[in-house]
Amino acid sequence: MRILGGLGDVAAWLGRYLWSGWAGLAGLCCVLAAWQVGHEVYGSFILPSPLETLAALVALMQEPAFLAAARETAWRAFAGFGLAVGLGTLAGAVAGYSFAAMRLMRPVVTFILGVPPIAWIVLALIWFGPTGGSAVVTVAVASLPVSFAGALEGVATRDRALDAMARSFGAGWWLRFRTVTLPHLVSYLFPAWTTTAGSAWKVTVMAELLANAGGIGGELAIARSLFDIPRVMAIVVAVVLFALATEYGLIQPVRDRLEAWRKAGQPWGVRP
Amino acid sequence: MRLALDHIGHGFLGRPVIEDLSLSLAAGEIAALVGPSGSGKTTILQIAADLIEPLSGRVRRHYRRHAVVFQEPRLLPWMTACDNIAYGLRASGTPLRARREAAERRARDVGLAPEDLAKYPAEMSGGMRQRAAVARALAVDPDVIFFDEPFTAVDVGLKRSLQDLVVAAAQREHFAALFVTHDLAEAARIAHRVIVLSAETLGIGTEIPIATPMAERTDRAVFETVEAWSRDPRLAELFDGDRDGQP
Repeated sequence: MRILGGLGDVAAWLGRYLWSGWAGLAGLCCVLAAWQVGHEVYGSFILPSPLETLAALVALMQEPAFLAAARETAWRAFAGFGLAVGLGTLAGAVAGYSFAAMRLMRPVVTFILGVPPIAWIVLALIWFGPTGGSAVVTVAVASLPVSFAGALEGVATRDRALDAMARSFGAGWWLRFRTVTLPHLVSYLFPAWTTTAGSAWKVTVMAELLANAGGIGGELAIARSLFDIPRVMAIVVAVVLFALATEYGLIQPVRDRLEAWRKAGQPWGVRP
Repeated sequence: MRLALDHIGHGFLGRPVIEDLSLSLAAGEIAALVGPSGSGKTTILQIAADLIEPLSGRVRRHYRRHAVVFQEPRLLPWMTACDNIAYGLRASGTPLRARREAAERRARDVGLAPEDLAKYPAEMSGGMRQRAAVARALAVDPDVIFFDEPFTAVDVGLKRSLQDLVVAAAQREHFAALFVTHDLAEAARIAHRVIVLSAETLGIGTEIPIATPMAERTDRAVFETVEAWSRDPRLAELFDGDRDGQP
């Protein structure tokens, strides 16, 4: 009975999740329509039509070489994302707890934030040479401030009244962190992580293209030099799809699970 | 004797709030702490509950454990009523099954329906939330409970039923309680002793025992007690609204 109830919950959640996808799909269709108009005005050489691009995309997905390049890029983006999120969140949380640490770290983060990602690629190229390492480091450094700022705000704005309540029951710091600070922190971290995941793909491709380090960026450079415009468009669409898949296949489901309690206060059918 | 505060002094930013204050709480006793605003009622409660360290003096505690009921319910919004009520037990390492059972029993004690246990605080009314906060305090089987103006924000009828609930629980389970309130009728209804703070002397102005048994504290009796206090010169500071805590 209990297992059945649990399955029902999962099915209901999945239904709601997929249903909310329709709204997104409608928006995408508008973009596709505008794209088609652009194609009809400028012609195939400047802007291949969505259908041509789709055909190129299907062909692309069947090339073992491209899939290997995509795997390479995914691995680099993921490593950079992990580093940025891990270090950024940790440092941000420490800064949120300690006023002194915040005063020390904030200017550093402002500095890092001010350096454009393209400059990091140049520096990483000098330091690491044209390898995957440059891409990973560029992603990590360029995305770190976002996680840092999110974690800092989250910890700094934790509810001290709830913390005092937990202390009054003799809760230790670890329990207080897990039950009082972390659930609040999560609502600050997810927007930061979503941004980081999106920029991880973009920055990795950019770094690969400039560093000539293979991966999707390398494929893009080759397609550009061959003036294979449908292929360029297909690669761009593929990167967008990968980024979307990361967000809606990985990050949003985790968020929905962790923030189920927020739905409790909302009237039926209202979704943020 | 459960709790004793010896020669406590405290202040904020160099401004003293309490000086050389001593009070004690006997087992099973409910003491109401009243005083004009700014006289340090909540500060004393926080010192007694070990939430802040006093600048001078010491606190002696002769009990296993205490609980605090705050002015706001302070429920964790991401936990169901059941998990909120069991929070104190979780902090003390009670196994999950025992926590659930205690939460269900305490929810019954404070008048929450079994189906309310699965609700998040956002789905509960103000009264239900404060009931859950009281249940959370009772759930740890405390020897002393600190109440910090807990029923200020609830309506008259609900306030009465929550007060009755606290009195009944205290008689059943023999915990001692320090009950901060600014409502003299509330003090007259629930306390064995009223401790009156003075903003002038930065300490206890006077203490008034209430001998009337709990069962005989009808609305009329409570009203007459408060009426008699309003003529009592020792309580004049409480009725002088113009001062508003400014010395």
